[in-house]
Amino acid sequence: MFFHIVLERNMQLHPRHFGRNLREHIISKLMKDVEGTCSGRHGFVVAITSVENIGKGLIRDGTGFVTFPVKYQCVVFRPFKGEILEAVVSMVNKMGFFAEAGPVQIFVSNHLIPDDMEFQSGDMPNYTTSDGSVKIQKDSEVRLKIIGTRVDATEIFCIGTIKDDFLGVINDPTTI
Amino acid sequence: MPRRRDDDDDEMDAEEDEYDEQVMDDEIDEEEEEEDDRSSRKRRRSQFIDDVAEEDDEEEEEDYDDDEDYGGGGGAARKPKAKRRSGSEFFDLEAQVDSDEEEDEEEGEDDFIVDGGAELPDEDGGRGIHRRPLLPREDEQEDVEALERRIQARYARSSHTEYDEETTDVEQQALLPSVRDPKLWMVKCAIGREREAAVCLMQKCIDKGSELQIRSAIALDHLKNYIYIEADKEAHVKEACKGLRNIYSQKVMLVPIREMTDVLAVESKAIDLSRDTWVRMKIGNYKGDLAKVVDVDNVRQRVTVKLIPRIDLQALANKLEGREVAKKKPFVPPPRFMNVDEARELHIRVERRRDPMTGDYFENIGGMLFKDGFLYKTVSMKSISAQNIQPTFDELEKFRTPGENGESDIASLSTLFANRKKGHFMKGDAVIVIKGDLKNLKGWVEKVDEENVHIRPEMKGLPKTLAVNSKELCKYFEPGNHVKVVSGTQAGATGMVLKVEQHVLIILSDTTKEDIRVFADDVVESSEVTTGITKIGDYELRDLVLLDNNSFGVIIRVESEAFQVLKGVPDRPEVALVKLREIKCKLEKKSNVQDRNKNTVAVKDVVRIVEGPCKGKQGPVEHIYRGILFIHDRHHLEHAGFICAKSSSCVVVGGSRANGDRNGDAYSRFNSLRTPPRIPQSPGRYSRGGPPAGGRNRGGRGGHDALVGTTVKVRLGPYKGYRGRVVDVKGQSVRVELESQMKVVTVDRSMISDNVVVSTPYRDTPRYGMGSETPMHPSRTPLHPYMTPMRDAGATPIHDGMRTPMRDRAWNPYTPMSPPRDNWEDGNPGSWGTSPQYQPGSPPSRAYEAPTPGSGWASTPGGNYSDAGTPRDSSSTYVNAPSPYLPSTPGGQPMTPNSASYLPGTPGGQPMTPGTGGLDAMSPVIGADNEGPWFMPDILVRRSGEESVVGVIREVLPDGSCRVVLGSSGNGDTITALPNEIEIVPPRKTDKIKIMGGPHRGATGKLIGVDGTDGIVKVDVSLDVKILDMAILAKLAQP
Repeated sequence: MFFHIVLERNMQLHPRHFGRNLREHIISKLMKDVEGTCSGRHGFVVAITSVENIGKGLIRDGTGFVTFPVKYQCVVFRPFKGEILEAVVSMVNKMGFFAEAGPVQIFVSNHLIPDDMEFQSGDMPNYTTSDGSVKIQKDSEVRLKIIGTRVDATEIFCIGTIKDDFLGVINDPTTI
Repeated sequence: MPRRRDDDDDEMDAEEDEYDEQVMDDEIDEEEEEEDDRSSRKRRRSQFIDDVAEEDDEEEEEDYDDDEDYGGGGGAARKPKAKRRSGSEFFDLEAQVDSDEEEDEEEGEDDFIVDGGAELPDEDGGRGIHRRPLLPREDEQEDVEALERRIQARYARSSHTEYDEETTDVEQQALLPSVRDPKLWMVKCAIGREREAAVCLMQKCIDKGSELQIRSAIALDHLKNYIYIEADKEAHVKEACKGLRNIYSQKVMLVPIREMTDVLAVESKAIDLSRDTWVRMKIGNYKGDLAKVVDVDNVRQRVTVKLIPRIDLQALANKLEGREVAKKKPFVPPPRFMNVDEARELHIRVERRRDPMTGDYFENIGGMLFKDGFLYKTVSMKSISAQNIQPTFDELEKFRTPGENGESDIASLSTLFANRKKGHFMKGDAVIVIKGDLKNLKGWVEKVDEENVHIRPEMKGLPKTLAVNSKELCKYFEPGNHVKVVSGTQAGATGMVLKVEQHVLIILSDTTKEDIRVFADDVVESSEVTTGITKIGDYELRDLVLLDNNSFGVIIRVESEAFQVLKGVPDRPEVALVKLREIKCKLEKKSNVQDRNKNTVAVKDVVRIVEGPCKGKQGPVEHIYRGILFIHDRHHLEHAGFICAKSSSCVVVGGSRANGDRNGDAYSRFNSLRTPPRIPQSPGRYSRGGPPAGGRNRGGRGGHDALVGTTVKVRLGPYKGYRGRVVDVKGQSVRVELESQMKVVTVDRSMISDNVVVSTPYRDTPRYGMGSETPMHPSRTPLHPYMTPMRDAGATPIHDGMRTPMRDRAWNPYTPMSPPRDNWEDGNPGSWGTSPQYQPGSPPSRAYEAPTPGSGWASTPGGNYSDAGTPRDSSSTYVNAPSPYLPSTPGGQPMTPNSASYLPGTPGGQPMTPGTGGLDAMSPVIGADNEGPWFMPDILVRRSGEESVVGVIREVLPDGSCRVVLGSSGNGDTITALPNEIEIVPPRKTDKIKIMGGPHRGATGKLIGVDGTDGIVKVDVSLDVKILDMAILAKLAQP
């Protein structure tokens, strides 16, 4: 799920950036530092939309670096258990497939793929129903439900299922 | 024993193993073997029980035995026997046990037993041993008929021989030994020779007959160093032990009467067996095998179990055809499902019979029953153990036949829970009821009593807490729970629950991304992320280790006692299970190897595998050893993501991370051009292994031979002693560019030695490098061409006079180098990164480089310089910069004076050739464009000369190359590109731009108009409108 929230962060800036473009430097550094990161509480920071407030800087003794408290608005993406997501299959193997929904990687184990879908190895490994009508392979788009998440320092890893009503392939690259 | 001949051969084995059991077990075993033998005498006996006349003799004989047994060796009862007593008779009575033991050690005794033991049942003998002392005196007086009656009555009642059931407590009491019974003596014997001692005593009994006055000898398996001898007097014991070297009869201890029963007491536990219980076989060929109870006959104490047969079909076929069978098979056949067709092929008769009771069809092969490939065997309850059975998943998996849906098997796992240890449930655990009326009720543990667990049910309308027997409960997990395995083989692993199959969870391990099956019982919910145990001793997961046999591999999994190691075999993944002691040491040496393109690969560099089974995989190098790379690919699921590949089948992707200033790793996908090393490094780096090969590639020669580019010395022939660089290899001949002469000669490959370590290789590096940024190396470059003629001159006497010292200095990379190096230090690339003002510092060095082409030697790769070597030729100012310089370079002629003049000038690093003037001329250019248009992050660039391939610079690396994300919006792959490979996409009107030079460098703005070479820019921050040169404007990437 996406959220638009206000976060705060202390930015340390090298003295050489002080000057007219200070604000810009802070913002660009903030973007560089924050965008794409992941925290367990908020999930992935997708983009900084605006900077609300840059506080007064505090010079650090000894280093000359200055710390600015920065308040910024950003869009975060955090997957939740039970959430239904649409994702693109990035890899298929006999144990299941990996799908990506933006920065989140979701693993759908073969236990959580409907039983009538069988793994077909080969050049383009895929899961196919016995009648061949539905096929999950790389680049397929699937709708899945997240059943578990694990948050690491740098990534959120999810387990999903397509073994439920209305879940499964929504767009097949081969049919386009 | 004669009966044995009728037995199936597997039963023979069973028997033999049975004898391994301790004496007291003999009884059990014999029962079993008899039961197994379908023509069990006992059964026969019961069948013919009315037909006394027919069986009389046998019965009588047995009666006597029983009589003996019960008589406890008393005098009166012994009388009728005494007259028949002979060696053989005696043997039956006294030494039968020993005969059992004897089987182990002396097969040869078989015959003897046949003579002596004749048809007498073993079990009586075995029983006799421990019955006798227990028997009351009263029995002795009973007359034979009464005994017979009693026994007949007993058999009439039940057909089995489990006497214990009949005996009441009172009777049992009466059986206890009294003072009048023979006593039990404990005698010391050689340790480990207990059985042997007992057998020796038996042998002695046989030999000496009635002279020996002891009654029995007992060796207990659990008692070392002692045997028991039953005798009336100590003297008898000493007498019997005389001359037996295994027995130390100096000290004979009397066992107190009260303790006598304990000596021979068999600890038997009530076994609660029911259908579908998992059990293990205790004895026989199947010892230790998992079996599943399919039928229980509590009356007969017999169990029918389902086993995976261990049958050697060939041997079976041989036997059934009456061919010679090896007496004792040296091995136990591996468990394998019976294949009826296979059996038929071997001409084994397979009967298909219907079981009258169950209606199931069984295949009957040589008396054994098979169904679905499983062997159905009926055994005594005592030959199986039902305690603490923890079947592994492998075993369970095998029992699951394809046809079965597994339901029943899984359900039967509940029997496993009987063995749960205490404290299994903790408050707060989610549980589910698996048995009884409340089945499938979920709840949470509130309190745990001894047996009962109080749970708070999930369902409303139920009492607040319910007490449920812990055996009816099972831990409950839902898919998505993050759990930790706390016991079992997978202990320590964590993962997410993928699927719950009753009591089995399928977990996706956090580390291996593999699914593992565990029992719900072994798991607790936990948010912890661990890899399981990751360390045993000094060795940790992902360590590179050297193994015993000098092979090596990386640890990909740590199990409870062993490691799984992915061996360093590149062709196919080879995983070995390795014990701690099999590991010699950890390999921590950091080494570099060369990839397919001879670029240096170090640990942490990202490489792509371009050939072999793992072609296409890509990931950072974790370990390097003996030219083998261990690559960790996040997307590779097997072997914990590790892939083993030869370094020669990999290419480095992007820049090297480990070492920013190392060269030889640049392989840019951007224009699929092998880029030269960007930054040469301190000469010392290449003291080994010759020059990095990047430069050669630049020279247009593919890296087709490892020899190419190396410096060699000619060992033989006309050029003996000459050194040179290999420029080409054709079959056996090698073309060598001689250092001392301006020519390339062809010599035989066998005539060169390539292990020349000289300082020369260093030169190559900087010359081709984009070393431009570092002044020091290029400055050395010109030295080389200039030096070469000097060498020639060296042949002349003048040379000795003054040239030599100079040359020495020139040759020694260190002497002339030092001052420029200081410069270089100033221009420390680390600080260059984004601060462009430093960058212009490099042009002078490029100017140094210029003389190389100027020297006009077509054979030197430097000849390529002018077209490829100019870095950042996209920046117009610099394209021009060298040009005034080049013409001024005297075409390689004025070497001698030149170098002479150069050398003194080295400290400054400036004046060296007439061309120096050119350099000076250039200086203003540098000054004028002090903040030249250097690439900056976030600007759009395209591949030089190609409109279509565009990318966004993400980062400018310290060496001037850029990390570029392909795609106009920067969503493609990230690559590293050199400045000369890319050019700025010129902005058009209304485009967002970024200013790359001038005082506004770094600022963004909008191009509101173009006027010739000037652009009218509205700067974002100040909103000022500026007129700037178009050359310093770059199109900003769309965010």
